Amino acid sequence: MKPLIASVFSGLFLLILSGVAVAAEAASGNSASMVPGIIALGAGLGIAIAAFGCALAQGRVGGAAMESIGRNPNSADKIFTPLILSLALIEALGIYALIIAFILAGKV
Amino acid sequence: MGHHPFTWYDLLPAALQGVLPLQIFFSVVSMVLLVCLALGARRRLLDSHNAVIPSDRITLVNIFEVLTEFVGGLSDSIIGHKGRAYLSLYGTFFIFILVSNFIGLVPGFSPPTSNLNVTLGLGLISFGAYHYMGIREHGGSYLRQFMGPFVVIAPLFFMIEMFSHMFRPLTLGLRLAFNMFADHLVVEIFTGLTYVVIPVLFYLLGALVSVIQAFVFTLLSMIYASLAISHDH
Repeated sequence: MKPLIASVFSGLFLLILSGVAVAAEAASGNSASMVPGIIALGAGLGIAIAAFGCALAQGRVGGAAMESIGRNPNSADKIFTPLILSLALIEALGIYALIIAFILAGKV
Repeated sequence: MGHHPFTWYDLLPAALQGVLPLQIFFSVVSMVLLVCLALGARRRLLDSHNAVIPSDRITLVNIFEVLTEFVGGLSDSIIGHKGRAYLSLYGTFFIFILVSNFIGLVPGFSPPTSNLNVTLGLGLISFGAYHYMGIREHGGSYLRQFMGPFVVIAPLFFMIEMFSHMFRPLTLGLRLAFNMFADHLVVEIFTGLTYVVIPVLFYLLGALVSVIQAFVFTLLSMIYASLAISHDH
């Protein structure tokens, strides 16, 4: 519960900070050209959050696999195939976010 | 992504480049390479005295035997003995995707599987294959599994199943294409940044990703086929 509250608050803080940065940039430059900046920000944040989520999920899967291999070393061969499959499927979710980030970065 | 690195495709005359896109050219290169390797392995297997005695060195036949045994073992553990009839399909998926991915690690070549057209084509073949295997196994009642447990909710269940089935070749193709594209881009960028020692690490990563993506494509195709063939009612 505590890490969840901490991450929610840090996310809000980052949003407010980015809002301040966008307002400052809009005040200094002309506000008609703010859209490319927002698109770039969206691309960067998108892949960052996706990579974070993928790292968490793959860490859990890898940890569970390590633990079960440690408990029963003979089962390492049988665990290997589902482990690689799970890692690749989670990786694919991050790749989908990377696709969107590439599309957005191409629109800047 | 603005600059265009050199590949052997750039040496082709412009008329040929108009007809033959980059990914088709490298697919053909990969296919020709595989046919030459297969013909070379066949030459040894034609001599019936030597065919059953394995050699103790690393020969072409041994490499193909390792790959075939790997795919065969995977197929046996996932589909069962009915999958042996389709071993050539899964072997083709694995070996073709493996060689096509590895081609991208050689300087001057671009992996054909980094293009969405090639990988979506492979995904569609996998899609058609598992439906064909399901229909051949179950006959007309293959559609029964799309109807759901109760006939009443059949239309809703059909929509849900249709979505999840349409999603499969799409994700197969997208996963392979963007893994290869991103990996090729990373190797390219880091070879451009630091010229000598650091790219070796990225080549290792590239080789690992190539093998894993070929493996995952074949594994998922086999899992979809086993789901289509399964008698779970």
